[in-house]
Amino acid sequence: MAKKVLIVDDDIGVTYTVKNGLGNDYDVTAVNSGKQCFEFLENDQIPNLILLDIMMPDMSGWEVHKRIRENPSWKNIPIIFLTARTDQVAKNAGGFLAEDYIEKPFKIPELKNRIEKILNRI
Amino acid sequence: MNVNFSLSLKLTFIVVLLSTAIVVSLSYINLQQQYQKEDDILTTISRASVKNFAEAHSIINSLEDKFVSYAFFNNSSIVYDNITVLIEKINEKESLETIRLNTINIYRPENKSKPETLSIYVSNDKSLIGNPSDIYNDRAFDTGDSFYILQEDKPILTIISPINISNEIVGTQEVTISMFPTTVSHEEQIKYIIIIDFICILLLIFSLLYLLRKFIVKPIILFREFTQKIGQGELNTKVELNSRDELGDLADSFNQMAKDLKESTEKISEYNRILEKVLEQKDEFIGQLGHDLKNPLTPLVGLLPIIKQKEKDPEIREHLNIIHHNVEYMRNLIFKTLKLAKLRSSNVEFDIETLNLKDEVANVVSSQMMLFRENNITMINRVKFDIFVEADQLRLSEVFKNLITNAVKYTPKTGGQIIIDAEKGDNFVTISIKDTGIGMNKEQLNRVFDEFYKADKFSSEHQSSGLGLAICKRIVEKHGGHIWVESPGEGMGSTFYFTIKLSREK
Repeated sequence: MAKKVLIVDDDIGVTYTVKNGLGNDYDVTAVNSGKQCFEFLENDQIPNLILLDIMMPDMSGWEVHKRIRENPSWKNIPIIFLTARTDQVAKNAGGFLAEDYIEKPFKIPELKNRIEKILNRI
Repeated sequence: MNVNFSLSLKLTFIVVLLSTAIVVSLSYINLQQQYQKEDDILTTISRASVKNFAEAHSIINSLEDKFVSYAFFNNSSIVYDNITVLIEKINEKESLETIRLNTINIYRPENKSKPETLSIYVSNDKSLIGNPSDIYNDRAFDTGDSFYILQEDKPILTIISPINISNEIVGTQEVTISMFPTTVSHEEQIKYIIIIDFICILLLIFSLLYLLRKFIVKPIILFREFTQKIGQGELNTKVELNSRDELGDLADSFNQMAKDLKESTEKISEYNRILEKVLEQKDEFIGQLGHDLKNPLTPLVGLLPIIKQKEKDPEIREHLNIIHHNVEYMRNLIFKTLKLAKLRSSNVEFDIETLNLKDEVANVVSSQMMLFRENNITMINRVKFDIFVEADQLRLSEVFKNLITNAVKYTPKTGGQIIIDAEKGDNFVTISIKDTGIGMNKEQLNRVFDEFYKADKFSSEHQSSGLGLAICKRIVEKHGGHIWVESPGEGMGSTFYFTIKLSREK
C-alpha cells in the first residue's frame, strides 16, 4: 500500500506539481491552508508524512507545525518544510529530529529522495 | 614643529642679513661723508692759502678741535708793508703791533673759547721755523709751486705755498695742520660706530622678527592647525585672526570654506543615509522578488521533466528541452541573486575554521573531473601541502568552484591547461588560478567582477548568470581578502588572484 503524504501549500501550482510528481509512488493529498490541514487530520486520516509550506496567508507553517506537535496523536508525523526562504528555516527548524526542509523550486527526484530518507529512518 | 622652526630660521637669517647690510652701509656712508668733509677742508685750506692769506685764515678759524698752526716768512724787506697790510686785512679788529717781521712773533688770537687750539706763527726767518719744510719754503719761493708734506712718524700735514701779491712772489706761507686729534677721533669713532651698529642690528633683528612672527608666522601656524583640524573632520573649527589685511581675508575665506565644507559634508552624509536606505530597499526587493519567483517556478521545475519523459513527438520534445533549459537557467539565476543579496547583508555569518589549502583545492578539483575531461583540460594543483588558511569551508570551495568552472568556460573546446598555485605572504596567502583561455581586454578586466556582467562572446550562453565572479568577490572580501584578475590580452589566457588569511596555528 502506498504511503500517505499530505501537502499543505496555498500555491495551487506547487500542490499540483507535488501531487503529479509523487502520484506514482505515494498516496498524495493536497490541501491549501492550515485550516484545511487540521480538517484533514481531525478526520483521523493520519498521513505518513506532511509537506508543509511556511508562508501561507491564514496560518503560517510554524503555527501549523506547533499545533501538530502539541497534539499527542499527531506529534510523531514527520514534517518536511517547503520554503522559498531557506534562511528562516535554517534558524527555526533546527532542533527537530525528524524534520527536514527543501528549497523551492525543487526537482521531483530530489523531493522523493528526501521523503524516502525520512520514511526509511522511522 | 619642524616646518615652523625652519621658517623662523629662514626669516631670522634674512632679517640678520638685511639689518646688517642696512646698518653697515649706513655707517660706511656716514664715515665716507666725514672723511670727505675733512678732505674738503684740507683742500680748501691749501687752496685758500695759495690764493690769499685772508681766506685761509678765516677757514682755519672756523675749524674746531684741531690743532692748527701756520707760519709764513719772506726774505725780502720790500714785502714788509704788503704783509702788514695783509695781516691788517685779516684781523681788522685786532692789533698787529706785536708783529715784527724781523723777529719771531707769536700771534695769539683773542679767541677766548679755544685759545689753545689755534696758534699762528708768523716769521720772516726761515731758519726759525725749524721744520723740514725750509727747503720747500725756498723751493716754493723760487718756483712758485705749492708743496704738501706729510711727515712719516707724526700725523702732521704741512702745506707750503708761495705768497703771491701783485704777481710777485713776496714770500711763502706755511700751514701746519696737526692731524693727530682727528685720527684718534676716527679710531674711536669707528669703535663707537661698531658698538652702535651692533646695537642697531640687534634691535632691528628683534623688532623685525617680532613683526614677522606676529604678522606672518603666527597666522601660518593658525592656518596649519586649522587645516589639520579640518583634515581630522572637525568642521566647526575657525581661524581666529583679527587682522584687516590679506591674511585676514584669507582667514575669512578659510572660515567660509569650513562652513561650506560642513554643509556639503552634512548633505553628503544625508545622501549617504538615503542611498543606504535605498540599497537596503533594493536588496529587500530583490530578496522578496526572488522568493516570490520561487513558487511559480516550482511546477515548471517539477513537471517539465515528467512531461518531457512522457512526450513522444520529437519536435515537441525539442521545444520542451529548450523550455527546460531556460527554466533551469532562471532557477540558477534566482539562487545566485539571492545568494549575492544575502552575502551583502551585514548579518551574514561565516563559519571560520583552519583549512589545509591543498586539500580544499583537491576536493573541488576532484568534484569537477568530468568537466575537465569533457573540455580536454589539464588541471595542475601546485599548492604546497603546508599552507593552512582561515576560511569558511563551504564558501571557499564555492570561490574555487566558480573560478575553476569560469576558467573552463572561457577555454576553447580544443583544450587547455589550468594551474592553481599559492604563495605565502606575511599574513595572507595569494592564490592564483591561471588558464590558457581566451583572455580579456581592458574593458573586460575592469568589469568582470560587476554584477550581471558577462564577457560579450558568451553572453548568450545560458549557463552564465554573470553573478559567479561577483559572488566570489563578495566572499573573498567578507573574508578580509581581495580578488583581482590579470590578462596579457585577448587570446592569451587570464589569471585570477585572491588573498585569504594565513592560519596562525601550524
